[in-house]
Amino acid sequence: MRVNPNPMPEILAAIQRNQQQQNDAILQLASGQRINKPSDDPAGAATVVQIHDRSSQADAFLSSIGTINGQLQMADSTLSSVVTALTRAIALGVQGATGTLSNENRLALAQEVTGVRDQLLSLANVSYEGRYIFSGTAQVQPFVADATAPTGVRYDGNSGVNSILVGNGFRVQVNLPGDQMFAAAGSDMFRAMNDLITSLQSNSGIDTAVSSVRQAFDYVTGQRVFYGNAINQLSAQQTYLSDEKLQLSQQENTVAGADVAGVASQLVNSQNARDAALAAAGKMSQGSLFDYL
Amino acid sequence: MQSLRDSILEMRIQQERQQQGNFNGFVQSMSQLQVMFSPSSGDIGTRISQFFASLQSLSTDPANLSLRQGVLTAAGNLAAAFRTTSQNLTLQRNNLDLSVGQTVQQINVLTAQIATLNNQITTMQNMHQEPSAFIDQRDVLVGKLSDLVDVSTIQSDDGVSLTTSNGTALVAGNRSFALDVQLDPSGVQHIYAQGKDITATISGGCLAGYLQVRDQKIPGVQNSLDTLAAGLANALNSAHHNGFDLAGNGGGDLFVAPPASGQGAASSMAVAITDPTLIAASSDGSPGSNGNVAALLAVHDQGIAAGQPPADYYANLVFAIGSDVSNGAAQQDAASLILGQLQDQRGSISGVSLDEEAANLVQYQRAYDAAARVVTSINEMLDAAVNLGRY
Repeated sequence: MRVNPNPMPEILAAIQRNQQQQNDAILQLASGQRINKPSDDPAGAATVVQIHDRSSQADAFLSSIGTINGQLQMADSTLSSVVTALTRAIALGVQGATGTLSNENRLALAQEVTGVRDQLLSLANVSYEGRYIFSGTAQVQPFVADATAPTGVRYDGNSGVNSILVGNGFRVQVNLPGDQMFAAAGSDMFRAMNDLITSLQSNSGIDTAVSSVRQAFDYVTGQRVFYGNAINQLSAQQTYLSDEKLQLSQQENTVAGADVAGVASQLVNSQNARDAALAAAGKMSQGSLFDYL
Repeated sequence: MQSLRDSILEMRIQQERQQQGNFNGFVQSMSQLQVMFSPSSGDIGTRISQFFASLQSLSTDPANLSLRQGVLTAAGNLAAAFRTTSQNLTLQRNNLDLSVGQTVQQINVLTAQIATLNNQITTMQNMHQEPSAFIDQRDVLVGKLSDLVDVSTIQSDDGVSLTTSNGTALVAGNRSFALDVQLDPSGVQHIYAQGKDITATISGGCLAGYLQVRDQKIPGVQNSLDTLAAGLANALNSAHHNGFDLAGNGGGDLFVAPPASGQGAASSMAVAITDPTLIAASSDGSPGSNGNVAALLAVHDQGIAAGQPPADYYANLVFAIGSDVSNGAAQQDAASLILGQLQDQRGSISGVSLDEEAANLVQYQRAYDAAARVVTSINEMLDAAVNLGRY
């Protein structure tokens, strides 16, 4: 049988294949990534695109939750102060209803209740990072003292509500407009306060006025639950999103991360193979029959 | 070095070289293309995600001017990513077009040389001289030609005739037929043989690989980008129209409206507004409302391009490009293994073995020695015969 007397091209091709494997392994080790270009693993590369998108979305959700949380906490603590102030107003009203009280004392109580009313007004106008919390979606000071209004206070905000997306298809409402919070029909806080002040001044209908302040108190307490709920929902979602992010990064690592141990041994293998091929090529007999003639 | 030839084997090698040339041209150009779609901080996929993340931030404080500016910046980056990628595709297509022209010139040079060699070989044969050196040279040139284009070889009395696989004559005897390139209305060079457009019929050699990427792959990717860009821009614009800007006016276009056909949407993508207050975040006209941001965000999950959400559509595009390259590379590897084997086989038939030649040389030397010995003997015998009577 006649064999190819010049196998050098074959050997060169083999050496090049080894070199290519070695280069691939080194690139994977250097970048820590198994997929450095789409052709390394087309399906994996497509998955990585989707993982990156979902991970970026989860990041955005988390950052929104962080931002909006401050606003919700602020609203909640403001409402807590409102409740305290209303409790004080009720106590003052009850005190004013006792018949033994002198006119001067009752007027002094009315004065004090007026102070509470002003406090409530400033609480209802509270703002967070320059935004009024209880103005609906309007960017104006929501409650303005107005003697012409029957309740003594005018609402300049609107009834708009905002909600933010904090998960796939999961929206959380993040505000209650001031008119719903403090000026709902039948439970109008400022009207109740106004009535209390007038009744203390005139010493008539104090009991009725106190009971309508109580009603406002119950109503605000009930509405406050909204913020508590929103904060709880967001905090649960925060935990979920952090878990999701962790999962996504693990998934990405599985799909695209280099198997360092595997790649390292592949590198050693291809190095050995290349060394062997080089040695073999070098050892190939240089002589021929001519040398012996 | 080679004088024994197996013509069937030579033909197989030529065919395999054409195959390999084809895959080489294809993989080489596609590898350049896929770089644009490798995971990086500036690719289209990342820019899409960043744009929607900026909208998400805006939804927490819709009247905030710096957040609004953030959305415009992200939208600008998104548009720029589409434009850059699209422009790079065009650039690459133009480069491939140059390669096509250069390859055709190389083919013309080779066919002219082969025709000249055919002539010399015929002349020498007519003068009863051995033309092997020229035949070897011609085989080398036909091999080179096989790397460039699909060639069929026909042996005839006046040397070899070469045609492309669909029968376009390249060389007939001592005549060669130059190919010609002409600019097509589509802006790329088409290949003509004697006035006939043969671009679509070329099926081998690196020319076929270049043509496939230039005429099918790049336009295909370009189309997908246009679909995605137009889908995104249209969906975001129509959501934007339903909202109100910071001043309470109805929203206009967020992105410059893409061409109705969608063609060129990627290369011309641009943000339509520069004033951040014009972003229509509000759904009720009040500046603090974020209702319309939700509508814009919803585009992230809408089937805006061929029924798929933007990130999925882009992921599928990355998959298609990646698998084109990896399939091509696998075929390239296979072709090079087959070619290696065939060449080894040719070597075993036609390669010059020094040992064999040495053995032959010794044999001839021995024969020469023996013949010389015969002459010496005859000489001695004659000598003896001439001097017979002298003693």
